[in-house]
Formats: sequence, structure tokens, C-alpha cells
Amino acid sequence: MNVALTLLWKDLVTEWRSRDRVVAMTIFAFLVVVVFQFAWPGMDREEIARLAPGVLWVTYVFAAVIGLGRTFATELENEAMTALALAPGTRGWIFLGKAAATWVLITLVQVLTALVFALFMRVDVSVGLAGSAAIAALANVAICSVGTLLSAMSVRSRFREVLLPVLLIPTLVPVLAAAVRATTATLGGDPLGLSLVQPLIVIGGIYLVLSFLLFDYVLDE
Amino acid sequence: MTRPAADDDRLAVSLRVLGWCVAVLLPVYAWTVIQAPLDSVQGVMQKILYVHPPLAYGAYLGFVATAIAGGLFLWRGREVHDQLAIAGAEVGTLFCSLMLITGPIWARGAWGPGNWWVWDARLTLTLLLWFVYLAYLLLRSFTEGDERAARFASIYGILGVVLIPLNYWIIDLVGGAMHPDNLANESSGLGEGMGLPFLVGNLTLFFVFVFLLVLRWRIGVLRAETDRVESDAAHPVRGSRPSTVDDT
Repeated sequence: MNVALTLLWKDLVTEWRSRDRVVAMTIFAFLVVVVFQFAWPGMDREEIARLAPGVLWVTYVFAAVIGLGRTFATELENEAMTALALAPGTRGWIFLGKAAATWVLITLVQVLTALVFALFMRVDVSVGLAGSAAIAALANVAICSVGTLLSAMSVRSRFREVLLPVLLIPTLVPVLAAAVRATTATLGGDPLGLSLVQPLIVIGGIYLVLSFLLFDYVLDE
Repeated sequence: MTRPAADDDRLAVSLRVLGWCVAVLLPVYAWTVIQAPLDSVQGVMQKILYVHPPLAYGAYLGFVATAIAGGLFLWRGREVHDQLAIAGAEVGTLFCSLMLITGPIWARGAWGPGNWWVWDARLTLTLLLWFVYLAYLLLRSFTEGDERAARFASIYGILGVVLIPLNYWIIDLVGGAMHPDNLANESSGLGEGMGLPFLVGNLTLFFVFVFLLVLRWRIGVLRAETDRVESDAAHPVRGSRPSTVDDT
């Protein structure tokens, strides 16, 4: 457990000093939002509101892929991966620390993206703000769990930039579908019921436990 | 612990038995399909039904085989399990691809021109399954080091099989009602005389699947054995390497 907390702290401090992952993810997410503007010229507000949850989540997932790709990149320098593997206790804790740090960064980027999105697309987010935030927080558990596991694998492969999205996006389809469904409901003014968040809790839980257990086999240093 | 040679012997015997089963079943299958009555609405196009669903079972079986073999590899660290996992993935990809090709051909015939693809729950699922398979094969070829590639692929194979029920559930929640009755009555709507070819089709393609799986498995085992002999010949002092892969 201490390993996880130490790694979480280390990753957040490193990120605070360099800010490279958050900046890259945020700029990329803004860019995607702006590019979508060109994909639907002259669309009225109702149509945009209908498409908004889907577009927002596609943007989130793409930005997350960018950020996850860098999760273990710094550990490759100076054989830091070996040092990580030498940490006492189950290696699942290493995974948990890394995943938690990524969760914080991705959530931060999502908040910034949502603000810009609401501004540009003139979507009224005040209706389901708390609900959407809760959905994002839950979906990020699934995204960060499976993303951290696959990132640790892809970072030591050839064509790692291509391999991570190819591996990750098929596994995120159920998360994306459940999150879009729930976000559509909350932005439409519906209360956030258990039936909406249940898939996210189940998928997040399965991915978290599975990644925790399987991470043991990823490090071979 | 068995030596690869013993594994190969057993595989060779199974292969011969399975080969005979396939050789006997294939002509029977072809005959029953030719003899099956023509569908009054869809005509000859309906006969794809005797090929398409059995292919689907093969695709799913391949994925399950890959995941189980991957789990065994992670647990026991034996190379032979990894070779089964590769076989499952490759034969599964073949069946999945054929299913994705035959599906749209039937769809266009049944639903008219322009209807090659519909975002139906089952179609979407199969497409996702196919992408997971491709990602699995890409991961294998992009990862350096046989042992590492085997380990990473095993992890992804397990993840992939967990994904199947999750996708089923989610697609049912999100978009299952989009096309409620297109494929649902496919198997229950079998007319007089259509049940037998359907049954024989399932049986035959199941044996074809297992035959190809074992064949590919054996190729993997033999290839590993060849590599081992060659490396022993190149470094005679070190002696023969053990058949297990270190799993640390």
C-alpha cells in the first residue's frame, strides 16, 4: 500500500514540476473539440446538444490515450523500471499508484475540456454538472485501470504509439458506451439513477481487480 | 513434465483422428446443404445460414481457447500452452473474418441493395471481437522477445475474453433495441428440412475448427522444437535447453 501511495505522490510531483502530460493532453483535447466544430458546420443547438455527450467522451478517450502512453515512458530512462520491479510487496501496488496518478491527471484534463466544450458548443452544463462529474470519475477508474496495464505492455514494444490505442480502444468500448448513455441522461435533466451508473461501477470494478492481478506478469525486470 | 516430443506425438494422433472426421463430414455437409429446400422468400441466399452461425461458434471458441491457454501459460509457464493460445487466436481470426464476410452477403441478399452493414448488436459485437483479435496478433508481432510476447499476449487474451460478456451487456443496454427482430428469428425460423443441414453444418465446422486449431498448435510445437535443435547444434556445450520458459 505504501508503494502505491509513494508512487502516486512521485508521479504527481514529477508532473507538477514538468506539467508535460497535462499540457499535452489538454491542448490535444481542445484541438479535438475545435476540429469537431468543422465536422458539423451550421448545426443548430438542439442537434449539437444531442451529439455533445458522444463527442465529449470521444475527446476524453483520445486525450486519455495520449496521457496513458506516457505513463511508463519516464520509467524507461535510467532503468527505473527495474527499480520499480524491486519495490517490496505485490506488484499490483505499483499498478495502483500509477493508475491513481493517471486518474488525477485525466480527471483534471476532463474538467478543463468540459469547460471549453461547454463554452464553444454553447451546451448548458449547469443542468447535470454533478452527475456528469460523478460519471466521469467512475468511468476514469475503468479507463485508468486497463490503460495503465496496457501502457506498461505497449511501452516496451515496437511502434508503441500505435500499439496502445489499438489495444486500448476495443477494451474501452463498453466504458464509452455506458458513459455516453449516462451523460446523455444527466445532461437531459434526468436524475443520476443506479441503473445508469451500475455498468460503470461493474466494468470499473472488474477492470481494476483484473489489472491489479495481471500486472504482476507485466514487469519482467 | 512432458517433453515437446511427447506433446507432438499426442497432437499427431489427434490430428489424424480429426482429419478423418472432417474428411467424412465435409461431403455429408455439402450434400445436405445442396439437398436442403430453397427458402420461399430469400431463395438460395438463405443457404448462407448453414455456414454463417457455425463460423460464429468457431470464432468464440477460438477466443476462449486463447484465454484459457493464456491463463495456463501465466500459471505454469509452459511454452506449449502459449502455442495453443496462438493457434486459438489465429484460427479464431480466420473464422471471425469469414463470419464478417458471409454476414453482409446474406444481409444484402435478405434486406436488399445497400444493406451490407447494419449496426446491429450482434454484428457490432463480432466486429469488436475481430478488432480485439487483430490487436492480440499485433501485440504478439510488435513485442520483442518470445517469452515477453507470450506473457503480454496471455494478459491481453484474458482481457479480451472478459470483454465479451461486458460488451454483450452494454450493447444490450445501449443499442439492443435498434433492430429488434432482424437476426433474432434467424435460427428459430428454420423451415421444414432445414434443421438437418444446419445441425450437420455446426458439427462439421466444429470439427474443422478443432482440426485447424490442433494443426496450428502442432506447427508451433514443431517450430519451437526445430529452434531448440538448431540452437543446441550451434552451442553444443550448453546442452539442451529445458522445455519450460522462465516466468519471472
